[in-house]
Formats: sequence, structure tokens, C-alpha cells
Amino acid sequence: MQLLVNTLIAGSFAAIMATGLALVYGVLRVFNLALGQFALVGGYVTWWLVQPLGLPLPVGILGGIVCGALVSWLSFEIAVRPFYKRHPLLPLVSTIALSQILDGLIQLIFKEQTRSILIRAKEMVHLGSAVISMEQIKLIIFTVVLLSATAWILHSTSIGRRIRATVAHSQAAESLGISSALLHRLVFIISGTLAAIAGIYVGIDQNLTPVLGFTITIKAYAALIAGGKGNIWGAVIASYFIAAIEQLAVGIKWFGYYLPAGYQGSVALMLIIVLLLIKPTGLFGRTSRFA
Amino acid sequence: MPDMNFFLHLVISISVVLMNGLPYGLILGRGKILHFGIMGTSLVSTYGIFLVLMNGGGYFLGFIAGLGIAILLALVFSWLAFRLDSDSFGILTIALHLALLAVVLNWIDLTGGAMGIAHIPRAPGLGDPRYFALVTSTVALIWGFFLWKIDRGPLGRRLTALAENPSHARSLGISREKVYTTVFVLSAVGSVLANLFYPQYIGLVHPSDLTFYFMIMYIMFIVAGMGGGIPGVALSCILLTILKEAIRFLPFPSGALGPLRLIVFGMILLVAVYLRREKLFPVPRTV
Repeated sequence: MQLLVNTLIAGSFAAIMATGLALVYGVLRVFNLALGQFALVGGYVTWWLVQPLGLPLPVGILGGIVCGALVSWLSFEIAVRPFYKRHPLLPLVSTIALSQILDGLIQLIFKEQTRSILIRAKEMVHLGSAVISMEQIKLIIFTVVLLSATAWILHSTSIGRRIRATVAHSQAAESLGISSALLHRLVFIISGTLAAIAGIYVGIDQNLTPVLGFTITIKAYAALIAGGKGNIWGAVIASYFIAAIEQLAVGIKWFGYYLPAGYQGSVALMLIIVLLLIKPTGLFGRTSRFA
Repeated sequence: MPDMNFFLHLVISISVVLMNGLPYGLILGRGKILHFGIMGTSLVSTYGIFLVLMNGGGYFLGFIAGLGIAILLALVFSWLAFRLDSDSFGILTIALHLALLAVVLNWIDLTGGAMGIAHIPRAPGLGDPRYFALVTSTVALIWGFFLWKIDRGPLGRRLTALAENPSHARSLGISREKVYTTVFVLSAVGSVLANLFYPQYIGLVHPSDLTFYFMIMYIMFIVAGMGGGIPGVALSCILLTILKEAIRFLPFPSGALGPLRLIVFGMILLVAVYLRREKLFPVPRTV
């Protein structure tokens, strides 16, 4: 039961990140390796507003989200827009550079210390044999609401239909009057905002450290690739799948002893690599045929 | 102020960077292959060499062990490259590097964890920094010349053809499998050479010297110097290593130097990608 609860907590965080990634990949066909740093910006700005400045938590969260959105918009203009129409692989390299710059700025401004948005003792609740904090319950519910809202926007609104049309066939969508430039910018900002929300999630549930950015990004991309690139729901399911592997790797005895917690991430990444060697299109990806 | 020792330090640092960076010029610069796992290869080869050495195996056995394990990982990378799209391959090479780093950091009994392996002795004849600089620079020169010949020879042309248009290259009888495997193995040999010398020089194997930050440095060397082939990459390695080492003399608090280095090199990479955007991933010719 505790493993299931832990999977839900870790998977919810990864699912928020992976949703944004899948949107960007589906629409722009680019990888953004600075996404983990957007998460850190959201988390650290919220920490700064709530802890040193003493503002209420909702104000801090709003500030973190707005800052995450602003940074992702600026990042799109500086490190993605000049490159992505020339070649889809260029942003992969330019966003590596951006991740360096953001990492350096975060370390300069917030120092290399662990920070937690909530420093008070958490109220724990027993669910059968499992223990979970009230904050974690709220975060899991919030993820469900956020993913449901994303589904509703994608399937029941005009902007969602435009996004899906661009994912299905960008040139045909453009010929029907959908402004791809505006849509690309919008989707990139939504992805960055979702990452900032995920960063706030980490800051509330655990601790923020400046070196976390790259690991977050790679784990989220592993989920995206394992789920089938561009497939939002595939990425969400793969996020929970990876979280389950991580929990199982260290949560149960293997050949009579427990694996140290430090191997958690390695086991999941190795398994994803093996999975992709067997099925390169991912769990829910389809192979395209070209005439 | 910089003195003779600093000059020797620069020569050794540049030589080590050239050994690892020049074959990466073939992979990313010539072949446009998004392989971000060369620090992963460095990681396994370093630990392979020095675990054998520190357990009484000697330098020769250590070198053979490091080479064997690095080539094995290069073959795994080749296998991944044949199975995945280029962007997925890029991400998963980083994932494999991070996974290997986590193993090194957590298998404390074997690797020493975050403390690394200390008190590494230098090979006979390399005790004096002047000899050390002479040997490393000679090895780097010979290795660079060999790679320059490769770059200008049939393998370089095949890499260029595969980068420009894989389908056309295949129709001309170029085997992507053979070419990729050869350059990945060459890169593994470069990693072994570099990591045979650097830990001896500082007397320590430390996992923080093998993180993704150093991979980003190599990407920057290639992107900045790729217009000039192997000589261009070599020039870029030399100039940017000097800049990296010179930053320590700036009048900033020591805690600010690390982040400052990240920002400076991030900006250099961004500008280099912008300036080289036509050459880094050229649009395939249609006529």
C-alpha cells in the first residue's frame, strides 16, 4: 500500500512534467533540455516569496507560476525560435546551453543550499497501512484536476482542436488558417508553466536543490520516449510506470536484501533503455510508413 | 599571477581535452550524431583503469581493462543509435550516463562513492610535471594527427555522406552500422587515453570530474570549432580550455566562480550554436 502511495506521489510530479513535454514535442517536434531548470525557477521563486518574504502560500505559488511562464517565454524567444524552423535538432543543443545559463543563475541567486517551501511539520494521515501527508494528498488531487483540465482543453475547446490539428498535420493545419507561430509560442509557455508547477510540487513535498534540474529533465524525457513521443497520455502512463519501477526497485527485498535508495533512478532508466531497445517506438508509439 | 607550473598545467589540461574532444569532433561535428554519452564512456574507462591499478593490477592491466569496458559501452551506444531516432538517442545517452554515475556514487565499497579513489600513483617516469606535460602533449599530437587523417580519409567522407543523407549514403553502399561503430570505438579509445593521464596528474579519480557539465564543455568545443574540421575543433579546445582555466583568476568570491563559469560557457555555447546553425545540422540538399 505504501508503495502504491509513493508511486502516486512521484508519478504525479513526473506526469505534470511529461504532459508539457509531450505537448511541445507533438506540436513543435523539438526537445527542450532546460525544462528541469524551469521547474527549479518555479520552485525557488515560490520558496523566496513564501520563506524570506513571508507572503502567503497561494501568493507564492502564483508568483512561481507567473515567473515560470515568463522564463519559458523568454527562453522560447532566445533559445528555440531562432533555431527550430531551421532544423528540429538545433534546439536540443541550444537548450543545453540555456540550461547551463539558468543553472548558473539559480546557483548565484539562491546559493547551493537545500530549500523547502513549507518548513512546518506536515500533518500525516493513515490510509490503511500507508502513511501520507495532507500536502501530498492535495498534490495528487491537484494533478488529477490538472490532467483532467488538460484533457478537456485538448478535446473540447477550439484551442485544443488547433493543437491537435497541428500535431496531426502541421502544414494542413496552417493551410486552414491556424497560426502556427502563435500556437508554438503558446504551447511552449504552457509546457514551461507546467514544469514550474511541478517544481513548486517538489518544493512543497520535498526539498529543492540547484543541481536537480538536469535529472528532472532526463527522467521526464525518458517517460516521454517510453510512452511514445508526442503521445500525451502515453507519457502520463509512462511517468507512473517509471515511478512504480523506482518504488519497487528499492521498496521490496530483492534476493534477500534491499537495494540502496541511490539506485532508484538508475534502475528505472536502465529498464527504459532496455524497453526501447526492444520497442524503439515506446509503449504507445506507432511506426510511421512513408511511401 | 600565472607561472611555469600554471603553464605546464595548461599544457596537460589541453592535451587531455584534445584526446577526448577530437574523436567527438568526428561524432558530433562530422557525423552530426547526437551522442551525449562520451562522459559516460570516460566514467567507466576511468574506474576500469584505476580500480584495477589500485587493486594491484598495474598500469598495463588497468589500461586493458579500461579499454575493454569503454569499447563495450561504445558498442552499447552503437546498438542504441541503430534502434532509436537521433533525438531519442541523444536523450538516452544522457540517461545512460546519469544511470552509470548513480551506480558509481552509490557502490561505495567498490568505487569510494562521492569521495572517489585517492592517492593514485603516477606511472614510472611521469613524476616530474615537465615530463608529464611532454608525454601527454606528444600523445595528444600523435592522436590528433591520426584523427585528422581519418577525418580526411574514406571514413570521414562516409560520415559526411551519412550526415547529409542517410538513404542516399546507404544506396552508395555505405554501412551506417560499420561507420558509427568505428567512430564510437575511436571515441572510446580517446576517452581511455584522456582518462589514463588526468587522474594520474591530479592523483585522484573523482566522480564530479565526470558529470554532464563536462559533456557540455565538449559539445561547446565541437560547435565552436566545427567549421574547421579537426584543426578547428583542436583550436576551439585550446582556446576554450585556456579561458576555462583563466576564469579562476577573476576577482570574484570562490563560491561565485562555479556558477559564473556555467553562465559564461552557456552563453558561449548559445552564441556558437547561433553562429553555426547552418553548419551544425544543415538542411539536406534536394537537387
